[in-house]
Amino acid sequence: MTALASPAFIIIVVTSMIILVFRDWRINAGALALQYIAVFILVSLSWPIGVAVTKLIVGWMATASIALTCMRQLTSDPPPEPTASLFFRGLAGLLIILVIFVLTPSLQATMFPRVNVYIIQGGIMLIGMALMQLGTNAEPTLTIFSLLSFLAGFEVIHAALELSTLLTGLLVLINLTLALIGVYFIVKSNENKPEPKEEG
Amino acid sequence: MNFTLSTPILFVLFPVFIALISGVFYRRRMLNYLLTSLTTVTLAVFAALMPESLTISIGPVTILFNESLGFLGRQINLTYEILPFIAFCYAVTGLWTIFSTIPIVPELFRSVSLVITALLTAAVGVEPFLYAALLIELAVLASITILSPVEEKTTSGILRYLSLQTMAMPFILLAGWLLTGIETLPPDSPLVTQSMVVLALGIGLLLGVFPFHSWVPMVSQQANAMVTSFIFFIINISILVFGLNFIDRYTFLRDFQSIDVFLRFFGTFMIMIGGTWTAFQENLKRSLGFSVLSEIGFSLLCIGLSDQGGLYWLFLLFPARAIGLWLWGYTLTLIEQHSDSMNIHDLQGFARRYPILTSGLIVAQLSLAGLPLLASFPSKFNIFTAAIEINPRMGIWSFLGNLGLFLFTFRTLSALVTPNDENTSQKWSINEKRKVYLPILIFIFIIILLGLFPNTFLANLTKTLTSFNQLQ
Repeated sequence: MTALASPAFIIIVVTSMIILVFRDWRINAGALALQYIAVFILVSLSWPIGVAVTKLIVGWMATASIALTCMRQLTSDPPPEPTASLFFRGLAGLLIILVIFVLTPSLQATMFPRVNVYIIQGGIMLIGMALMQLGTNAEPTLTIFSLLSFLAGFEVIHAALELSTLLTGLLVLINLTLALIGVYFIVKSNENKPEPKEEG
Repeated sequence: MNFTLSTPILFVLFPVFIALISGVFYRRRMLNYLLTSLTTVTLAVFAALMPESLTISIGPVTILFNESLGFLGRQINLTYEILPFIAFCYAVTGLWTIFSTIPIVPELFRSVSLVITALLTAAVGVEPFLYAALLIELAVLASITILSPVEEKTTSGILRYLSLQTMAMPFILLAGWLLTGIETLPPDSPLVTQSMVVLALGIGLLLGVFPFHSWVPMVSQQANAMVTSFIFFIINISILVFGLNFIDRYTFLRDFQSIDVFLRFFGTFMIMIGGTWTAFQENLKRSLGFSVLSEIGFSLLCIGLSDQGGLYWLFLLFPARAIGLWLWGYTLTLIEQHSDSMNIHDLQGFARRYPILTSGLIVAQLSLAGLPLLASFPSKFNIFTAAIEINPRMGIWSFLGNLGLFLFTFRTLSALVTPNDENTSQKWSINEKRKVYLPILIFIFIIILLGLFPNTFLANLTKTLTSFNQLQ
């Protein structure tokens, strides 16, 4: 698994950039599902694979529940975005990547001396990108995607610090409840949508 | 016949079970109402009257309660010392539940409030206590369904609330890991400062301390006032007890002189910003949110004044705050039912049509502001006295900040009493029904009673302090 750490980190960088830049739920859900594979690889560096796989299963369950609800509820395509806003978010994402590369060595030296550098970089990358996403949108589905990413980032780092069955169980519960809240938001927004006026 | 149960089963699992059943039947209003109200009141009575031996005999049946319940290698301990606090939490939930029959209160409110109280009760007793952060997060997630019911749009305030509260949990868990073994380190070790910063961020995010406070007035304005007043109160007091656990457990936190100064500074600052913003509000619901910020400031100030007896006043302040916030939320919900706008200028002449409702609102605000003879006055008077003794400038600033709510109350009163522009000769009349004005009058009386005899009615709750061995 150690050999897979650097590809996992690259997957995290790419997928979190995709989630930050694009606003289409289909692209975001795909990227999030892929992101959880990378999270699983990084967690398995610290935990037995049997326990680490819970992160993958829970992540996929959360993603699937949101994606399936979006598929049923959101029938129209999201409005096209101007290239400038995609460019701006891409630039902000690059800035976050740069900051994380600068910060990681000192963070490893002062706070997590015995933790693999890929774990710290991967975790902080997920947290940083999620924070940027939370700061640049006020849309329920994207907020839930960001919060799931944020928690995944924390779980990657925390897995390297301690292993507790109850903590793992509670985090599973929180991830799934967060996904359910996302489903609730999507259903709600669809139900409260004003009826289209009939013409003629 | 002898039975053995445990206090966590009674005060955590049982209410969750009842909440699930009542939640399933939420459309059967009477069944839902009876199940939740009876459960909260019964649990409050049980917790308040439980003997120290934790044994209850009813005729030939004897039930022995164990203090702890093991779960996946961890424990939930609800000891005899913490029972007054649990009794208080369930009594407060009962108060909100019993008076939640107003049509605009979300239908799921009663069931979800019971789940929230059960989760927060578990959070108070879980070992290792850091896991409380996860249970508080679950309570926050549950609260979303009542703060943003199905028939309403998801607002930016709710999303901000969800985001900031979710972000708090990792900070607390990380602080817990950093604090492991920190006792052996010298006080000037950078790890000590790091863990304190991470912990402060976590607690600050949870409480909505500046600069993480923006969601409080937003949620207050956008959600139902009965729901927000309950959530603001119950989650805040649980976080405060959780925070006290930290100070109780870690000697270096108690010995660190700067922490008191830091808490006093932030407490005063929160009172100042909360009070100032309240004073200039136009919206009645939004002002509730800003006053809550001020109350958070008072709580921080009390903890910062713990050497001067601040914790005693903090626990004495809880019931006064609970009744004040309940009455405020209750009257606001009724006002919202009768009016299209919650802007004070749009409510001109409201007091002439609904004088008792208006009196309830004004008394609730004045009680929270600490007007003499009302419930919060004894605690707030002592807090100001201690603050002025320690640092006169801090005492004066906190006093000035607290005046903001007084100013807002007088502005509200003036607007509500002034006749409507369209009907300048508006006559005074009582339009409230008895089932509406009776609870208001009863609770105005209770607020005065608590102000006159604080120790007689509230001293029991301060017994909870005995569970914090190092803070007494």
